[in-house]
Amino acid sequence: MRCLAEVQRTFADALLDSRASDIAAVVAGDGVAPGARVAIYRHHVVTSLTAALRTMYPVVCRLVGDGFFAYAAHEFIVTQPPTGPCLSDYGEAFAEFLESFPAARELVYLADLARLEWALNRALHAEDTVPLDLGALRSLDPQWLDSLRLRFDPSVTFLSSPWPIDSIWSANQGDADPEATVDVASGPVRLEIRRQGDDAVFRRLTPAPYAFRRVLIEGGALATAADEASAVDGDLDIAAALHELFTDNVLIGFRVTSGPEEIS
Amino acid sequence: MTSRERDAIRTAAGIGLRSVHVAEVIASPPGVPWFEIHAENYMSGGPALRALERVRRSFPISVHAVGLSLGSAEGLDPHHLHRLRALIDRLEAVLVSEHLSWSTVGGRYFNHLLPLPYTSEALAVVGDNVERAQQALGRTLLIENASSYLRFRESPIPEPEFLAELTRRTGCGLLCDVNNIYVTSANLGLDPLAYLEALPGDRIAEFHLAGHRVNDADGVRILIDDHGSPVTAEVWALYADALERYGPRPTLIEWDTDVPALSVLMGEAQHAASLMDALAAGEPHALPR
Repeated sequence: MRCLAEVQRTFADALLDSRASDIAAVVAGDGVAPGARVAIYRHHVVTSLTAALRTMYPVVCRLVGDGFFAYAAHEFIVTQPPTGPCLSDYGEAFAEFLESFPAARELVYLADLARLEWALNRALHAEDTVPLDLGALRSLDPQWLDSLRLRFDPSVTFLSSPWPIDSIWSANQGDADPEATVDVASGPVRLEIRRQGDDAVFRRLTPAPYAFRRVLIEGGALATAADEASAVDGDLDIAAALHELFTDNVLIGFRVTSGPEEIS
Repeated sequence: MTSRERDAIRTAAGIGLRSVHVAEVIASPPGVPWFEIHAENYMSGGPALRALERVRRSFPISVHAVGLSLGSAEGLDPHHLHRLRALIDRLEAVLVSEHLSWSTVGGRYFNHLLPLPYTSEALAVVGDNVERAQQALGRTLLIENASSYLRFRESPIPEPEFLAELTRRTGCGLLCDVNNIYVTSANLGLDPLAYLEALPGDRIAEFHLAGHRVNDADGVRILIDDHGSPVTAEVWALYADALERYGPRPTLIEWDTDVPALSVLMGEAQHAASLMDALAAGEPHALPR
């Protein structure tokens, strides 16, 4: 007799691959092929996860059509099933999957559009936070300012793309003008995605502030962010760029690491 | 949770809260005695959790988990238990339940209530997991019978006996899903009334009711527990039998696919309540509709 762990591995393999042949050793058919009974479970797993992905990626679905989306989702689900039970966490890798999915190669912007939809989903489900007040920095000795590192609200994502994915997204909303067209060759975009109130929102940033914020959200020190932003645009006012982070309410904490002790 | 709330739902029929109804429930709180939520839908933060907390101000909330995977041979995920505990505490949950099933193996999560072979090994595994979960949650768990579409070759213990032994070993309660008893019995050739009668009635702390559909697999009729239609006449009749045998319990209407207007769910809940009322008044139970 197989132990429970073996039974569960066999069952899981059969769920992901209808050709897995071992299942008849553990499941009784009772008038039906054992595989046909497992298929009932497989059908539910795939359709419920496809529905979850469709909720997460409505514009991708609209662009490729329901049938193609279901086909792509099926391939994704059986190769990269969820790792945990919260479905709002599932599907981050779908963009990368689409990028290497031969059947979707013609839609060059599809993967980046999926990244935008993932960022919007992430923003929607992020924990509520209390924004950091500028006053919190007043206690900081100016000599440590260079090594200042800032913690961003967990709803915030910075995303760049060679394609105008924000315009493509907007043109595919229910209330969009059906006659409007998007010039796919209109150049790259740099986006900030976050939650405001109950809504996930995005906006374009110009190259230097984008570089500045991107370094900071990745944990870089203020001096590094200032250097990279200045390399993009030598005229950028760093003090103003820092101040804007506070007025935009995107920060929730800070720390200083190179001083004698860490302040946070 | 207050004992007053627990008393208030003792003979009351609640509704599974679905996201499409949340705004309506907040805007004009309906005459529903309690709501049940799926725990895993509220484990991240943001507007959904905030809205649920507003619902909680007006209604007792039962927390129904679907992702603990109590039947997993590899044990439970401590992180998930921790998140579930936080949600239960935050909502002061009036009831907490999970399924007799598994969904996780080798780091892969299958979004389904997968069946268990009912062996003494499985009983030991589930018993350990239930004890561990109850300890981590600081609560008695209600364990629900899931719908089944197959039988394992090695599965010597009948499901209701497996559940009864589980309650003895762990002190857990039971969530008796009447529709699932009906579906499992039809699919596996069991007698639903005999199943019902084999359960330890004093451990039943909640009933679930839902609709199912009929499918065909290789020419064999199979009932699918899809929670996408009204409770069937046969399941109402089985529920009336359960009430007659075990007395009233908090009863929940579940509807998860093609979710209709809230008023439709309220109509289903009112029918369940009327069956409980008829029992309390000593009337022969109302005719199944």
